[in-house]
Amino acid sequence: MSNSAASPMAGGASMAARGCGRATSFVPELQSMMFALGDSRRPLHETAALVEDIVHTQLINMLHQAAEVSLLRGARLITAEDILFLMRKDKKKVRRLLKYMQFRDYKSKLLKMVDDEDPVDSDKYSSGTVNKRKKLFQDFLGSIDQTGEFLSVLEEDDVDEVKQERMERLEKQTRAMDATQYSDFCESRQLSFSKKASKFREWLDCSTLDVKPNAVSMEILSYLAYETVAQIVDLALLVKQDMTPKNGDPFSHAISASFMQYHNSAAECAAACGAETQSSAIQPAHIREAIRRYSHKIGPLSPFSVRNNRAVKELYL
Amino acid sequence: MEQNNSLPPFPQGLASPQNVMTPAIYSPMMPYGTGLTPQPVQNTNSLSILEEQQRQQQQQQQQASAQQSGVQSSSGQTPQLYHSQAITTTTALPGNTPLYTTPLTPMTPITPATPASESSGIVPQLQNIVSTVNLGCKLDLKTIALRARNAEYNPKRFAAVIMRIREPRTTALIFSSGKMVCTGAKSEEQSRLAARKYARVVQKLGFPAKFLDFKIQNMVGSCDVKFPIRLEGLVLTHQQFSSYEPELFPGLIYRMIKPRIVLLIFVSGKVVLTGAKVRGEIYEAFENIYPILKGFRKTT
Repeated sequence: MSNSAASPMAGGASMAARGCGRATSFVPELQSMMFALGDSRRPLHETAALVEDIVHTQLINMLHQAAEVSLLRGARLITAEDILFLMRKDKKKVRRLLKYMQFRDYKSKLLKMVDDEDPVDSDKYSSGTVNKRKKLFQDFLGSIDQTGEFLSVLEEDDVDEVKQERMERLEKQTRAMDATQYSDFCESRQLSFSKKASKFREWLDCSTLDVKPNAVSMEILSYLAYETVAQIVDLALLVKQDMTPKNGDPFSHAISASFMQYHNSAAECAAACGAETQSSAIQPAHIREAIRRYSHKIGPLSPFSVRNNRAVKELYL
Repeated sequence: MEQNNSLPPFPQGLASPQNVMTPAIYSPMMPYGTGLTPQPVQNTNSLSILEEQQRQQQQQQQQASAQQSGVQSSSGQTPQLYHSQAITTTTALPGNTPLYTTPLTPMTPITPATPASESSGIVPQLQNIVSTVNLGCKLDLKTIALRARNAEYNPKRFAAVIMRIREPRTTALIFSSGKMVCTGAKSEEQSRLAARKYARVVQKLGFPAKFLDFKIQNMVGSCDVKFPIRLEGLVLTHQQFSSYEPELFPGLIYRMIKPRIVLLIFVSGKVVLTGAKVRGEIYEAFENIYPILKGFRKTT
């Protein structure tokens, strides 16, 4: 395929241009993950590089904020509680994280039942570590809960719409696959940051921090990294869908000018590489547009918020 | 002896009260609630494993119980016995139609009414059985670890003696309270036999060990449906029962309500069933899931 020859070089150029000093790169893993999350069979290298950048920035921000929180507490390690504290405002994300942690607990319990190799795991018969993560969450949320809003997160059992949407999309995607494609797909789905824990740790580069994260918080961070990739892909797919010209769309003439600019650059990219499959993969342009929309605060007071205020921006930049 | 071995293939388990062709000595109302603990065990204090087994066999010949005969008979007959055994445990529930015929019973003069749904023809194999027994006396773990063969004891790591025997290939965790956990056996009978052997070892070391409350706590079975399964479809349609996080675990975890079994379903078609207290639950769970899995078969 012509695009696969073009894209590594293009990707390499853009990587050098960005001047990343990181030794480890998750780009090939990210390409697999994006395929597993709904992108085309071979996601573009530039797209994966851009996603890596975004995820890395987000995680470093989160790590620094968590380090501040744990310093406030006077602790020596960043724990799960610190990260939970940062996330407390967003109920849906907390619930998704909780469900994930519950699954982890449940899986370790199950596997101990099923695997018989070493019946004496140091924690096997002690009930202290059964559901340890869930207990951690419960205790912490209980301690910071003033109005009962956090503990309600633990009880709620509503359907997670985002997850539902993802499941439906993947189901549709897999229906069309044949057996070999499907087994590839399943393998890609199994990739995660937690599988490559040491590489992930290196990639995060915690050496500049005063406090380091402990094991459970590393689990949470690798989950958050994966969630970020999933969200980016979700939004980028939405953007891609918006960009495809639909017949009979009443709003097609009302799309903003900046949007058209992105659209044109995407079209140029496609024209330059000229391969058909290029058009079905997510472009970096889609991702940039998705991020722009996500960070664009829409609301009654948004013109006065610090981010959008041009005067404030001029002050600081 | 022959009576014992010839009668089990009869699907007396299917003997619902209206089936008049049941041989008279087999009562249709068997106590399957007792699990796999034959009654006489609780009363014995002296253990000589061989004698005990012979005694049990004699008692079982007298007792009209297919379950016990299933457990004690020779392994050659075991496939059929497992089937009939499985059937007995499930007909206890009202309105529960037997889901499988007995295809492996050649000597069945009485043909049961064939259920509407055909059976899968696949029988899950038991991989691991976890059982517990109370030896009924306090134990000094240090003495046991020092004097018994194949025993390890590391009190800093775990507060029990780990003992292993080669036949049946099992591992036992022996606690100072006298309670013991036996894992690794491939059948209920083997688990019981192994537990008795461990108890015998402890007894030989000078402790007044008994064999109280032997109970099977968990059974794990596995099988292969031999076709690839599209797990994304399954997790979507059976959301209330399934969870699938391929980043964490490659298999789909399906929590069946009736019977209360957890199934691990893999893309390759392998299915692992766990959480059963009796063998029949594993068979029933598999028969329940098989048509569902067929619906999500990944065709090329």
